[in-house]
Amino acid sequence: MKSKLVPRKVKVLDVQQEAPDISTLTLDCHSRCVPGQFVQVSLLGVGECPLSIASHSEKYMKLTVQGVGTVTKALCKLKKGDHLYIRGPYGKGYPLKKYRGSSLILVGAGCGVAALKSVIDYVESHRKDYKDVFLFFGYRYAKSIAYKKQATEWKKKFNLRIALSREKTKSCLQWDQGHVTDLLKKEKLGPEKTAAFVCGPLRMINDTVKILKKKGFADTQIYMATERLMYCGTGACCHCMIRGKLACTDGPVFRFDEIGYYGND
Amino acid sequence: MTVYKLQKSALPKFLESLKKGSQVFAPVKRDVIRFEPLGNPADVDLSANSYFPLKEYFFPPKEVLFHFSKKGVSAPVKRAEKRIFFGVRRCDLAAIQRQDLVFIKQQKDPYYAKRRENSLLIGYHCNTPPSSYCFCGSMGLEDFYDLMFFDRGSHFLVHAKTAAGQSLAKNKFFNKTPRKITDKERRIRTRALKKDISQLYNNKGWKPLAKRCLSCAACTELCPTCYCYEIRDEPSIEGPYKGKRCRSWSSCQLKDFTRVAEGHVFREKREERFKHRIYHQIQYFKERNKINLCTGCGRCVAGCPARIDWVKAVNRMKK
Ligand SMILES: Cc1cc2nc3c(=O)[nH]c(=O)nc-3n(C[C@H](O)[C@H](O)[C@H](O)COP(=O)(O)OP(=O)(O)OC[C@H]3O[C@@H](n4cnc5c(N)ncnc54)[C@H](O)[C@@H]3O)c2cc1C
Ligand code: SF4
Ligand code: SF4
Repeated sequence: MKSKLVPRKVKVLDVQQEAPDISTLTLDCHSRCVPGQFVQVSLLGVGECPLSIASHSEKYMKLTVQGVGTVTKALCKLKKGDHLYIRGPYGKGYPLKKYRGSSLILVGAGCGVAALKSVIDYVESHRKDYKDVFLFFGYRYAKSIAYKKQATEWKKKFNLRIALSREKTKSCLQWDQGHVTDLLKKEKLGPEKTAAFVCGPLRMINDTVKILKKKGFADTQIYMATERLMYCGTGACCHCMIRGKLACTDGPVFRFDEIGYYGND
Repeated sequence: MTVYKLQKSALPKFLESLKKGSQVFAPVKRDVIRFEPLGNPADVDLSANSYFPLKEYFFPPKEVLFHFSKKGVSAPVKRAEKRIFFGVRRCDLAAIQRQDLVFIKQQKDPYYAKRRENSLLIGYHCNTPPSSYCFCGSMGLEDFYDLMFFDRGSHFLVHAKTAAGQSLAKNKFFNKTPRKITDKERRIRTRALKKDISQLYNNKGWKPLAKRCLSCAACTELCPTCYCYEIRDEPSIEGPYKGKRCRSWSSCQLKDFTRVAEGHVFREKREERFKHRIYHQIQYFKERNKINLCTGCGRCVAGCPARIDWVKAVNRMKK
């Protein structure tokens, strides 16, 4: 028996600064993953934390990390050629195969966009399999927008809308004032042959679900990624338990009816 | 399998004989009754259950997952030592069965599995519950042991359940007897947990319990089944890049259990945390594994500084 808790060493191939506190690391890692899955990333002596896989390729793996605490801040300081440790991939991702031939609505806020980036990469390489693709992303400031480079491309291929909740000035990228949920509310969207994938903070997820349901979406058409404190990633440490469900192995992506509006239980 | 008879007067000699080739652990009276490596067999105290469960022998409060240095990581290689545990009660045996399910069957966790590999469990059957807080009789526990001792006054009847138990029974102190252990003899009459809590989450009966709770985590610490843990790095003072990654017990009763970056705590209120413990024990685990996690040992009530008797309270709850 080999321990699942011992990570493997991987090389950082490239570092892209997305925003003052957000970096995307490209890793020399060739795991086969489902968009929406995550890995446990660590720096020895600093600690470990879960990060969504923000790419879909067997040639490399991208992680987008926002420096909010001990481990994430240390990860943001890494440079090309450095090493880090990972284990995984873990968890259940978004059901992209099930929704072949459908339209997709992706709603993300903050570093929740990272998980949806893997969905976008997947869709880009399987573009014919999907109809309309709507991207609704929310950030606080123009400077915190992640994937600025890709955004111009996405604008051409998909329907991309960005909301900034605290930005006062105008920038070159077109964006709307307010929350991502405001954008969603205004948009004409129907539930026919469509799935919605949501990732972000708890309140934003719950608000998004309410709006989608008003637009006629069934519980079974909405998928959301949950964020919880987790240590093992394999369903043992129990920190990520939401009622009886484990965010690490039953999720992080849940169909809405599997857990409903969740909060403090 | 076979039933044997052992005269009580021969128990010390039998225990002494077990020490050959194995480490033997048994409950002895210190400040409280606790499992310890057996010294003098006369110290064994079977008058009440041990204050602490056996959990720490298989899932220690803290252990090293791996060491790291500039060269990389290396997991410690553990030898499976031969260990015999004597005097384990039905509730605690069932608790080991549950931790085996989580750590061996589901997680394939080598650290735990190695410690369990060469361990033999000798049970001691409760003719009467040693504490008024016991409620194992209502928890539907299965038999789980290598040997089980049934106290019959002047002698023990010993039942061997496994091959390892059977071979341990081949000694000069045990005599075969044609007697069978009946189901009635195996039953323990305790108080009962009577309610299914699946529809009681919003019951107002939880509030007064949570109000008395101090969030001290004694209940989870004393629990033979609680298996939550956290993982932290411990850098060494010998220099950078050197150190170890450890895992240690953690408790859902503490706020930090669900604290994420920027300070948000999911189960912020004490009532939410209190209910989480009970729901994990007698509802969530069952949904997944068909058996309750709780085995009814009652330590979480007996050891609670506020003596919060949730079993009594749940029994009183009405929809
Ligand atoms: C499935 C999943 C996917 C995630 N994907 C991303 C991503 O792609 N990009 C990104 O920037 N962030 C992501 N996060 C959040 C990220 O894991 C936390 O920001 C990170 O753990 C914070 O750790 P820290 O040591 O920097 O912070 P500290 O606050 O110093 O952390 C202390 C401890 O709390 C834990 N912790 C703190 N916050 C969280 C949290 N929100 N979730 C889980 N554990 C936490 C850490 O493991 C650490 O042990 C994800 C979280 C989950 C659960
Ligand atoms: S809970 Fe049951 S098995 Fe455990 S000590 Fe009490 S009576 Fe004995
Ligand atoms: S032992 Fe009692 S007071 Fe302490 S956390 Fe548990 S229930 Fe609360």
